[in-house]
Amino acid sequence: MDSEDDMHDANDVESVDDDFYSGETAMESDDGDAADYEFIDNDSDEDDDPVSHRSQNYTILNEADIHLRQEDNIKKISSILSISSDEAAILLRHYNWSVSKVNDEWFANEEKVRRIVGLLEESRALPRGKELTCGICFEVYTCDKMSSAACGHPFCVTCWQGYISTAINDGPGCLMLRCPDPSCGAAIGQDMIIKLVSHDDREKYERYFLRSFVEDNRKTKWCPAPGCDYAVDFIVGGGTFDVTCRCSYSFCWNCTEEAHRPVDCDTVSKWIRKNSAESENMNWILANSKPCPKCKRPIEKNQGCMHITCTPPCKFEFCWLCLGAWSDHGERTGGFYACNRYEAAKQEGVYDDTEKRREMAKNSLERYTHFYERWATNQSSRQKALADLQQMQNIHLEKLSDKQCQPESQLKFITEAWLQIVECRRVLKWTYAYGYYLPAHEHAKRQLFEYLQGEAESGLERLHQCAEKELYSYLNVDGPSKDFNEFRMKLAGLTSVTRNYFENLVRALENGLSDVDARGGTSRTGGSRGLGAGSSKNSRNKGAAPPAARSRNIDDSGHWSCEYCTFANVRSANVCQMCQHRR
Amino acid sequence: MTSPSASSRKVLSKIATNRLQKELMEWQVNPPAGFKHKVTDNLQRWVIEVNGAPGTLYANETFQLQVDFPEHYPMEAPQVIFVPPAPLHPHIYSNGHICLDILYDSWSPAMTVSSVCISILSMLSSSTSKQRPADDERYVKNCRNGRSPKETRWWFHDDKV
Ligand SMILES: [Zn+2]
Ligand SMILES: [Zn+2]
Ligand SMILES: [Zn+2]
Ligand SMILES: [Zn+2]
Ligand SMILES: [Zn+2]
Ligand SMILES: [Zn+2]
Ligand SMILES: [Zn+2]
Repeated sequence: MDSEDDMHDANDVESVDDDFYSGETAMESDDGDAADYEFIDNDSDEDDDPVSHRSQNYTILNEADIHLRQEDNIKKISSILSISSDEAAILLRHYNWSVSKVNDEWFANEEKVRRIVGLLEESRALPRGKELTCGICFEVYTCDKMSSAACGHPFCVTCWQGYISTAINDGPGCLMLRCPDPSCGAAIGQDMIIKLVSHDDREKYERYFLRSFVEDNRKTKWCPAPGCDYAVDFIVGGGTFDVTCRCSYSFCWNCTEEAHRPVDCDTVSKWIRKNSAESENMNWILANSKPCPKCKRPIEKNQGCMHITCTPPCKFEFCWLCLGAWSDHGERTGGFYACNRYEAAKQEGVYDDTEKRREMAKNSLERYTHFYERWATNQSSRQKALADLQQMQNIHLEKLSDKQCQPESQLKFITEAWLQIVECRRVLKWTYAYGYYLPAHEHAKRQLFEYLQGEAESGLERLHQCAEKELYSYLNVDGPSKDFNEFRMKLAGLTSVTRNYFENLVRALENGLSDVDARGGTSRTGGSRGLGAGSSKNSRNKGAAPPAARSRNIDDSGHWSCEYCTFANVRSANVCQMCQHRR
Repeated sequence: MTSPSASSRKVLSKIATNRLQKELMEWQVNPPAGFKHKVTDNLQRWVIEVNGAPGTLYANETFQLQVDFPEHYPMEAPQVIFVPPAPLHPHIYSNGHICLDILYDSWSPAMTVSSVCISILSMLSSSTSKQRPADDERYVKNCRNGRSPKETRWWFHDDKV
């Protein structure tokens, strides 16, 4: 009887798991136990950490870097095509700073490219020693007062200045300036522009030129953080879109929203649109208000009583349920909290449609509110944690080092804990957007999701609590505390445990919760369909850890690593200090 | 950029005045065929009579163009409109605004009133049907309180009518 359900799940896995994250799928999908194996193996803390050890597929550029790259590209093209750097700059700008595109187009049809871009094969000089008429002001000048682009169309210096300065003040179009002669398309090189314009205009022009290298280039974008001047150069293909700028802001290179891994860009944009108040307001009104039967203004009901009085000047008294005049109501219709007329009419099916819509709207609103509140709470919690982290680094660490007689280098575990908290709050926040869009009928996935999210969340709460409250007690003491080392162990342990929980959560969501199928597969052979949340804890405990992982369970210092949460416990403990899981 | 309606009220710069005097002199010696400049002493606004070219849909019809020059002419384009009744043409709105790229984005200071006139006449002559642009009513309504065509964001129709 389950076959149809299973088919359904399998199909959905494919559709959820878009190519954005496909890099991860390959390594996960070899067999059903992959997840358990990964889980136990993680204490090695090496390259398999998907959050922090990913090979970087982007570079942060400051203004000098951008200049350098731009110059570099220009030099490259200029030497490959044997053209001046002015001409190379014009070509590159035209082909959005893609060196390979310029190359391809040029060698496919140089003549055509020259025509499109306005680069003449040979430049024509102004006729020597003659008097010439300027094509703009129509005054006659000697040739030394005239200037022209490669085409030789003569204009006087004043008119050139006016022409170029008007273009610069009109916007970035000045980067594609052509000869003013309407029949001519000759491009105007940077040299000429810079020679002729005022200091202010030159600065504006150079600004546009630099910006163009970032904004017209498909590989680069500005960091969207307010006031940040860094740009990010991104190597498309493979890996995630998450980028952390040198200003410490993390964002998605693809959609430039704040970093939202493991949730995909579509879900994020849907969610953000959802949050824009208007659409929700409509639902709220639909769920909680009805038009006054007399004046038609929407009436909002906020208490239990069905006796409604419309606001002045209308003041019509009516029954919320049947919308009939209250004068027809009273004891005989059921009093203040019910309405027989409504019940009777409902039996006959009169109110079904509107009522059903209202109920649905109400439910969907409640559901949305549930997810939104948690999303927003984690958001503000993250902001707070960021501020706390800053305060920690600026003030508390020094004080703590003083009080506890510890060199600051020994207190790195505190910064690490706070960095982990900030990152986890971000991930957790986005999992609420994910959860909102997880279809209700995907029961197994929902269960797995809620389980993983719940584990991650409670791990994070413990860590946050420890970093916030317990740390404080070591700050406000007179001398070194005896148990500071224990605190260090605990906080570092919680940090690593929480990191593991979140890695699991992220990995599972990026795989479209496809573990459900793997688990489903195992349990189906056992004849039951008890998969997902409740059972996975047990199945993990029993799950055979690969020998390699087992042998590593006790390290040199005699600590044993908890199978479940990887925390390194002291030898004497029989129960994990972090998760109470038995050794 | 200053708005054209404001700049047209500003007096012409010295450069603009010199250039317009030269254009006017050239026009008197060598007027474009089919056009007549109506003499006034206002250098900043020219009124020009246009005669539909023989053998075209507008043969024997006469229209009036009004050309207003901004302070920084010719670096900025002049504002050119037909004085209603404007010719019935797929790129000319009933309020006289003309959808022609050289009057806006493609203006170049090396163009002149005379070259603009020739372009407008050629646009009229190549027309194969006498009708208003599809969005005439909407556009004209949007322009009600004296908006200049230079404030419109034009996207240009196909060159062939
Ligand atoms: Zn000149
Ligand atoms: Zn030229
Ligand atoms: Zn930044
Ligand atoms: Zn994104
Ligand atoms: Zn009312
Ligand atoms: Zn009632
Ligand atoms: Zn444990």
